[in-house]
Amino acid sequence: MAGERMKAIVDWTLDRFAVKQIEKGLLDRRVAKGTWYHGDGAALFLLFKILLITGAFLALSYTPSLDGAYSSVRYITEDQTLGWFVRGLHYWSAGLMVLVLVFHLLRQILLGGYKSPREGTWLIGVLLFFAVIATSLLGYVLRWDERAIYGLRVALNLMYRVPLIGESLVLIVQGGPHIGEQTLPRIYAMHVIFVPLLLLALIGYHMYLVVMHGITGPTERSQPVSDADEQRRLYKADAMSEERGETFFPSTAAKSGAFAGVVFLVVVVLTLVLGPGYLYPEANLVKSSFPMEEWWWSWYSALAGLLPPWLATTFYVGFPIVLFLILAALPFLDRSPRRGLRNRPVAVVVVSVCVIVILSLGSLRARSPWMAFPHSEPPPVPDGVQLSPYAEQGRQLFAQFGCNSCHAIDGHGAPFGPDLAASGRVLSHAQFRKIILDPPEEIAMPPYEGRLTDEELNQIIDFLMHVQITRHR
Amino acid sequence: MERRTLLTKLVHGGSALVGLVIGLPALIAGISPALQGRRGERWRPLGKLEQFPVGQTQAAIIEHESEGEPRPLSRQGVYVWRPTADEVVVFSRSCTDLGCPIIWDSGSQCFYCPCHGGIFARDGSRMAGPPDRELFRYANRVRDGVLEVDVFSVPPMA
Repeated sequence: MAGERMKAIVDWTLDRFAVKQIEKGLLDRRVAKGTWYHGDGAALFLLFKILLITGAFLALSYTPSLDGAYSSVRYITEDQTLGWFVRGLHYWSAGLMVLVLVFHLLRQILLGGYKSPREGTWLIGVLLFFAVIATSLLGYVLRWDERAIYGLRVALNLMYRVPLIGESLVLIVQGGPHIGEQTLPRIYAMHVIFVPLLLLALIGYHMYLVVMHGITGPTERSQPVSDADEQRRLYKADAMSEERGETFFPSTAAKSGAFAGVVFLVVVVLTLVLGPGYLYPEANLVKSSFPMEEWWWSWYSALAGLLPPWLATTFYVGFPIVLFLILAALPFLDRSPRRGLRNRPVAVVVVSVCVIVILSLGSLRARSPWMAFPHSEPPPVPDGVQLSPYAEQGRQLFAQFGCNSCHAIDGHGAPFGPDLAASGRVLSHAQFRKIILDPPEEIAMPPYEGRLTDEELNQIIDFLMHVQITRHR
Repeated sequence: MERRTLLTKLVHGGSALVGLVIGLPALIAGISPALQGRRGERWRPLGKLEQFPVGQTQAAIIEHESEGEPRPLSRQGVYVWRPTADEVVVFSRSCTDLGCPIIWDSGSQCFYCPCHGGIFARDGSRMAGPPDRELFRYANRVRDGVLEVDVFSVPPMA
């Protein structure tokens, strides 16, 4: 009989490939009921798989050499059929992975997800966090455009500040005395072989531990749990109960899949709407450039902008180390038996503050109020101001002598020094003269003594006298 | 010693030995750039000294490779300041905060960093922003009227 024969083949296959055991041990198992946010892990796993697959296909066309890297990325983005889509998926999955990973980590802090018996799961997770963050930088260095090379240089400058071994670290990453021939293959090998293998192993272990210890279940979230034994008892009761438990497949899988599906949709939409990460001019150390970090680093970049010089080295070297130590020590510092969002007000406050700080720093970076930069165009004449020809000369000189590198006029120009049309005070001719020729020690302004003729100085001051009352009328 | 203990020790020891034989040489090869230090051509020409007018600051380019067509990254920008006829200062273009490419503004006679607001004066001293030290200076010398810099006299990533 064909039917019986078929069934025999299926049974044989299931038996010899030991599929039943997977079904029984993993899919059919009872677990504590999860909620929507428990799907963030599934989303991360999906993003990782997208990155592996798109990354493998990008590697088919990428050339990790000084001469070929940039043009191969260009080729993938502009010429290869659907290359832009594959690169776009890779780029946006990477960004979203950082985002969802931060969510995943903060959520565990909110729930107390690292509490016994899940310390091991958490510690592997901490390693994963740092590996993903590191490779999210390595990835965009491979583009080998200006953003890439200056991103790499920032990383090298951070390493150089490590006491004693700083220079060695730089040489190891560069592969030689300069960023050059040996550098790109190293970044490539790290991003494409070393880190993915490490991630694969760690993710596998992380998920094995999640299967072993489960997720933070409903009972745990509502009542204090003192130790691992008590947790295991409560978890088992949850899993077996009708209303607090469920079967992993399809109940849990469907819920987690929904979260992952939404994230996937975001990746696809971003790829279709915004395309892959913008390619800047090819990496070089000659042209003037305005390098920016990728968006998921912007809060850190803002911190760098706010640092007082005396703190810079301590912060740059210390921050990642302290962050690692705090995260690694968290399960051992937080010994309270309380789990679940509602029972952990301190965690809620700490996490909220972190999120607010990160978002504010990101928006600060977008404005970059510390920015002073040369600009050849003189500022436009403010509305309602009539300049005499003499003052108009001053406006031209204002740009020629680089005053506009730091000072804006009525909102036009660099935000570094005071806006001279809206500084809130009116200076006299003599006061301007004194500040321009011989600025006070404590302000970051070059002295113009000996650089301006009296005529030029008077023209500039005349211009400033005209515009400084713009906001006062 | 019991047979069981002996076997355990053999398995552990053997595995460790295999790991060592593979891992250690691989690791040493991997970090060899640090062990070998900075090798290669040390002094590189920047151009004739007379190209750099006294009292001015000017961009110049180090060619890291002496032969063949310039390749990506074999050329590196620097700034040359010649305060007096006898004195030449060559600045790295790398901001001492995080290595972003500073730019010279002849109008205000300052160097500006495009990243976090670092500003340096004409003599390379820090004026504003997060940088915690002055600009890196290349050691330089003049040979047969040609200005040369020692590329190993600044940090390797500068």
